[in-house]
Amino acid sequence: MSYLVCVLLFGLMVGSVGVAWNPSPYFAAMGLVMVSGVGCGVLICFGGSFLPLVFFLIYLGGMMVVFAFSAALSAEPYPYGWGNRSVKMYVAAYVLGVGCAWKVLLGKWSGFWGGILDESGELLVLRGDMMGVAAMHDVAGWMLVLGGLGLLLTLFVVLELVRGVSRGGLRTV
Amino acid sequence: MTPIQMTFSTMFLLGLMGLTFHRTHLLSALLCLETLMLSLFLATSLWALQLSTINIACVPMLLLAFSACEASSGLALVVATAGTHGSDHMQNLNLLQC
Repeated sequence: MSYLVCVLLFGLMVGSVGVAWNPSPYFAAMGLVMVSGVGCGVLICFGGSFLPLVFFLIYLGGMMVVFAFSAALSAEPYPYGWGNRSVKMYVAAYVLGVGCAWKVLLGKWSGFWGGILDESGELLVLRGDMMGVAAMHDVAGWMLVLGGLGLLLTLFVVLELVRGVSRGGLRTV
Repeated sequence: MTPIQMTFSTMFLLGLMGLTFHRTHLLSALLCLETLMLSLFLATSLWALQLSTINIACVPMLLLAFSACEASSGLALVVATAGTHGSDHMQNLNLLQC
């Protein structure tokens, strides 16, 4: 199981490098999809049940979908992919940088894994993180209200930003 | 450093470098910002799961909510830029250039 976690952590690194060297937004969004899927797997391996679900549903299914159809605004005929000749230096630099950092900082890793994996083999319903999120509705209720009010405020901010004709950010529409 | 801490720390630094050395598209910079948020979500979730401090599991949820606010504001700015300049290329944002 710890080997599975190692593979998933490697997938996280590959996806992050795929976003960080700034390809065309289509491919960067693809990298983020990979990172969130693999990150969901990492959280499952460490015993979470609700937080990985939130990751998939809300982050991937909500925010990434919005980014994906906003990427249609930046459509260009020849998008920079992951194998484009002019940007191979960037990719090589990021990969080498990550490799050197891992070699230097993990060099003294003595073999202790440093994490508690969820290897009980049972199917449990009430997990720890689900209870923690339930506490958000109970003890941290005011924080939840504050978050909701912040989201409502953001809705009005966005509506003002994209208002056209003579007010707001858009002028030619 | 353990591999898990190394992973989300490196993810954060990679997103930060991608945000700093942006090239063409404003939307690519926003996606690097999302990578930053993603690494923070992973870090706080792993904190709640590893150290068995159950109440900290609220923090990733609230982080996700406020990051949705930030992402939607950024996307509104991208739409506004595409409306005025025709595309979201960074070289068009040069009003303050001498």
